[in-house]
Amino acid sequence: MERIGVVLGRREATPLEFWVGVEGEGLLRLDDLVVVEGFHPKVGQVRYFGMVDHVAKLHEGEAYDTDTFLAVEGRIPVSLAYVAHVSVTRILPEEFFPPDPGSPVYLAQGENLELALYYDAMKNQKGSTKLPAGFLKNGEVAYLNLEFLNGVKGGHVNISGISGVAAKTSYATFLLKSLLESGVLEDAHQAKVLLFNVKGEDLFFLDRPNNRLTEEARRAYERLGLPATPFQSVAFLAPPKKEGYVPDLDTRLEGVRAYHWDLVQFCQRGLLPFLFTDRSAMTNLGFLLAHVTERLKALAEKQKGPHLLVEDWPEEDLPEEISFDDLGRVRLKSFAQLVRYVEYKLLGPETGEGEGDKRWVARQARGTLEAFVRRLRASVENLSHLVRGDRPGNPPDPLKGEQVHVVDLAKLSPQAQMFVVGSLLKDLFERKERGQYRGRIFILLDELNKYAPREEEGPIKDILLDIAERGRSLGVILMGAQQTASEVERRVVGNAAIRVVGRLDAAEAERPEYRYLPTSFRQRALILPQGAVILHQPEIPVPLLLHFPFPAWATKREEVLEDNSAEALRRELF
Amino acid sequence: MWRLLALRPGGLAQEEVLKGAPEPQAFHPLESPWEARRAQPRPWPEPLYFVDGKEREEALLAQGERVALLGSVAAGALVSQGGRMVLLPPAVRRVGVGLGEPLRVGELRYEPVAAEGTDYASLRAGLQKAREELEKEVARGLSGGLLVVDGPVRFKREGGALLGYIKTHWVRYLPEREEALLQVLKPGERTPAFRVRRQGRELASWYLRLPLVPERVRPPQAGLLRVETPLEGPFSELADLSLSLFPALASHPVKDPRAPQNLAPIGALEWALGRRMGSQEVVERLLRRHLGGG
Repeated sequence: MERIGVVLGRREATPLEFWVGVEGEGLLRLDDLVVVEGFHPKVGQVRYFGMVDHVAKLHEGEAYDTDTFLAVEGRIPVSLAYVAHVSVTRILPEEFFPPDPGSPVYLAQGENLELALYYDAMKNQKGSTKLPAGFLKNGEVAYLNLEFLNGVKGGHVNISGISGVAAKTSYATFLLKSLLESGVLEDAHQAKVLLFNVKGEDLFFLDRPNNRLTEEARRAYERLGLPATPFQSVAFLAPPKKEGYVPDLDTRLEGVRAYHWDLVQFCQRGLLPFLFTDRSAMTNLGFLLAHVTERLKALAEKQKGPHLLVEDWPEEDLPEEISFDDLGRVRLKSFAQLVRYVEYKLLGPETGEGEGDKRWVARQARGTLEAFVRRLRASVENLSHLVRGDRPGNPPDPLKGEQVHVVDLAKLSPQAQMFVVGSLLKDLFERKERGQYRGRIFILLDELNKYAPREEEGPIKDILLDIAERGRSLGVILMGAQQTASEVERRVVGNAAIRVVGRLDAAEAERPEYRYLPTSFRQRALILPQGAVILHQPEIPVPLLLHFPFPAWATKREEVLEDNSAEALRRELF
Repeated sequence: MWRLLALRPGGLAQEEVLKGAPEPQAFHPLESPWEARRAQPRPWPEPLYFVDGKEREEALLAQGERVALLGSVAAGALVSQGGRMVLLPPAVRRVGVGLGEPLRVGELRYEPVAAEGTDYASLRAGLQKAREELEKEVARGLSGGLLVVDGPVRFKREGGALLGYIKTHWVRYLPEREEALLQVLKPGERTPAFRVRRQGRELASWYLRLPLVPERVRPPQAGLLRVETPLEGPFSELADLSLSLFPALASHPVKDPRAPQNLAPIGALEWALGRRMGSQEVVERLLRRHLGGG
């Protein structure tokens, strides 16, 4: 054991915190782990494990700040004190009496480090549950307890940090890599991952090696026990362009599928409420919304799609472009037409003071009906390329096919983003509830503040709350991220067992949402460099400052390592 | 069996009364003419040592008619070398002036020191002597370079120069005519050297003025330092060197009420020595517990 100093006697030494005087050439930094042995004849030997959360150097014997000038000029002698504050993470055995001042302090290494960070407790009947989560400052691999991530003892991850510098997505994808390929999650091959790409297109190269990956980063992956490879099985899905049917992406063209829902799916799955996400602004529309959703479900029953057939739309009221099928039923082939149909059913024929269909209007006042229709019409522009009747629907299905599904939202309007996220999550959660898929599902969703805002109510927030509160027992794990946790519904953040903080804004760091971080960590959250995060997990009473390796997968077009081997060219040509 | 008479007896002592100092009997200037002198700045010699001591009266004990003074004496040295001022390991001793044999009080052990008489003044003088002895002992361990001691020169130094400096002036060394120069001495100036005889020792001495901010508002005596060195040494050279040395080490009045004569490094050294003597409260507690009363 490397001796580093002694417990100080001038300041209080308690079982929970004490000060260390660093001796000689010793080096003690923030986050270093130390161990002290204490002894009492009635208890025997006790070991205190702790983490350094404050270090300071000062001149002893100086009475005034300006004395330092004299010391530097060699005019007065001073002695340099190098002290560190240690927060105790663990006492073995649990006897809470204070360590003796003057006791030697050692750096916790090897077995002591594992005890200090509770690694010895990270196991179950089947074996170790230590999931590599990055590197500690001293270069050792840091672990988190998988059982607090996969839903056994706890679930969900929440990541906060300023956009662009906090590396929220980078850390989340690194954690996913560790989950899927470290071998610690035993049914990893069954696990499915759904990633929502909210900004840019940086998740669209997850399956391509990164040409900026250095030899050093490769070794880092090796030490973590992870292959330095891109993700193996990824499906890329993007909304179609508004004109034509090609994925609306700029930087990646090959291997991306367009997704959309057809009208029958839209009606059968009851997706209408996800167009009305702002519940607070619609008070009495709620009932009508539920009613129309039910009518649409009934209407689409037993239909195959993609178009929706309706029988009760008289010819004289029809817009021009609408066609009939063999049986004389009207064939709705676009979202706009569906909206027109609903309008007809609610408000009656355009000509005259017509009345709507009694079975649809549900005794609502005309004002309410008109408000509803206005909102529905407004969504046509946003949704018509995502909900269509001209071709069979292929909405993203994260439970089928590839292990990882990346769903692009970046270019969608806010309303369409809400619709896609809400529809997918609802579908996933319902199928897991019904036990239709056995493996675990990990969902990465950035900008949680938009989908589960603290102040407003909405159908997506309901689903996210459901996932946060019940998801872990169903195997649905939410990896949520946001710039500011203070703007996200408390229960969504509160249910995350693993909390990660990247670079924070100074005002944000002072909010109560981050009180679980000791002061020194809150201060450091303001200056965290890229590639570093602070991770808090339930078992360890102090957060860990982690570094994680550079992504082994490309995060933009320029980073893609081109494979020019003959084999690859042949694959491309034939 | 010793009984505790008083703790911290130093508080009992009367302040020494300033006697009306008479004019000196003889006066021998060593440099002429008698006027203020300046010198080119010169580098400090290396190694440059400072030695100082400190005494602390801890308790007055009585055993029948006999009285003893317990105290701590400490002496330490600083060395300035390579642009840094470093504290050398100091020596600390607990002594009992008037004790016949060592006295153990808890973990403390007081070594006996003979006293001239049995009155308090003699006991104090004994303690002072013990401190001076310790200073001498520390000084003997320092070789080469220049040694600066706080107070008059009391010993001979082999193999190196020696300077003593006096901060307060009880004795007049200059006749009235020459003394007038002290009033007009500017910071960084010194008087010519003159001869001083004390206890059979021949010394060269001179006055110099230390800077004291703010200038002008000070009384004429403020910032006056008398420096002395054995006459047989290169006193003229040392006198010029002292102009580069003492003004640079003068303390600042904001930080030290005894500024500027109480030199900054000596202040730090005294603080360090006081610390090494141990906490006075703890010592008192031990004395009280083991000797009873107070």
